[in-house]
Amino acid sequence: MTELVEARSDGIAVGAAAPPAALAVSVEVRVGAPPAAFAVSVELELARGVAVLFGPSGCGKSITLQAIVGTLAPSAGRLVLHGRTLFDASLGVAVLPHERGIGYVPQHHALFPFATVAENVTFGLPRARRRRVEPEIAALMDELGIASLGAAMPDRLSGGERQRVALARALATRPKLLVLDEPFASIDMTGRAALRRVLRETLARRNLSAVLVTHDPVDALELGDTLVRFERGRTLPPESPSCLVPEHRAAFERAVVARRS
Amino acid sequence: MSALVFPIYLSAMVAFAALAVVAPLGLFVAWLQASRPHRWRRLVDAAVMLPMILPPTVIGFFLVFVFGRHGPVGRVLELLGVRVIFTPAAAVIASSVVAFPVLVKAVQPAMEAVPRELIDVGRSLGLGPRAVFFRIVLRSAWRSVITGLVLAFVRALGEFGATMMFAGMIPGVTNTMPLEIFAAYQRAEDERALLYVAVLVGVAVLTAMLASRATAARRESSS
Repeated sequence: MTELVEARSDGIAVGAAAPPAALAVSVEVRVGAPPAAFAVSVELELARGVAVLFGPSGCGKSITLQAIVGTLAPSAGRLVLHGRTLFDASLGVAVLPHERGIGYVPQHHALFPFATVAENVTFGLPRARRRRVEPEIAALMDELGIASLGAAMPDRLSGGERQRVALARALATRPKLLVLDEPFASIDMTGRAALRRVLRETLARRNLSAVLVTHDPVDALELGDTLVRFERGRTLPPESPSCLVPEHRAAFERAVVARRS
Repeated sequence: MSALVFPIYLSAMVAFAALAVVAPLGLFVAWLQASRPHRWRRLVDAAVMLPMILPPTVIGFFLVFVFGRHGPVGRVLELLGVRVIFTPAAAVIASSVVAFPVLVKAVQPAMEAVPRELIDVGRSLGLGPRAVFFRIVLRSAWRSVITGLVLAFVRALGEFGATMMFAGMIPGVTNTMPLEIFAAYQRAEDERALLYVAVLVGVAVLTAMLASRATAARRESSS
């Protein structure tokens, strides 16, 4: 149990001493019309590494991701990525999603069903560039363990394979930030551990920051550098993911047992 | 060209020209309506439906009013030396107006069914609105697009009422097959009428078979 906590404790980047943030989000997002309206106010700052958005379903985690990706416009606030203002309500700035350079892995992987795995991975690359980056794409697919699946159609893949393809597709365009919405939701326990490791290594190798939504404390502890909890339509101040350990001791123990077996 | 073949040739030309007008416009409006709620959505929906609900003679009346020599558009065209009314161009306009809603109504539900997540991912991958439309929306909804284009073509081919009023029935100029059937029947030239009836029935049967195949394939692929 303790080894899990220690392994992560060096990567925690919370607090005032942090260098200029890779991602700074301070927005209010509203969805729906008055009777069913929902608003969430988000304060989130990520120096480097992975921010985990944690909390029960329906508390605004996914719409926060959409605001970061740019497919949902916040009603107020500001969003800055690596010094570039992507959204600022008071200045009237709203960079369109296709100009943000943010890789997005949605909840249900959303692979293009009409395209092969290889076509899915290169979907975001301009036709002219595709040929030139072929070796790079091959290396990426190899890295994610999908090198042999290039010609397969998405409906023939397992849940874990689909998620790897969705990850490769997002990484192929060399994003400045990766945004993942419950990436392990439809995967069994052993597959989850393998995929978590792949994701962690991939991010580290590229020195890429990520924002990840999950409601699994094991995911949060294993991947997160910063933990942002959602509660009643707002975010709580950032914490270290290790604060989840006492609350979810049983879940961690189950995960450790599953890994050893 | 013999007077017997001309209506077949004219009808085909008019229907293809109408399709060339309706296809880009109809696909654009269908996507506009399907992609996201906007303030004019209901109004546009109703406006699109209108040519489907109105009697063709009423549409013809409006077209004559708008494009006639004293109409708002007709007057401008007259100054440019262009006359539309009682020409094949009038037949194309009449056919386009009635075929437009057929295409939009066939395609819009399929475009609405394209998962939002696919579009969001596409945008995050750097696809602009045009690329999203061509590479994701059209590719996802292509079966319905084909069905819609075929149905719109056939509707354009069969246009009668509005064409009669707006393009007239001028032999060798605007006598499309449906008009010619009516004229031949009135002159008791039943055999001549029968030729065009046979052609149109043939096209209709072919279309029905194509459309049912497309729906069957869709049912299979969605199950």
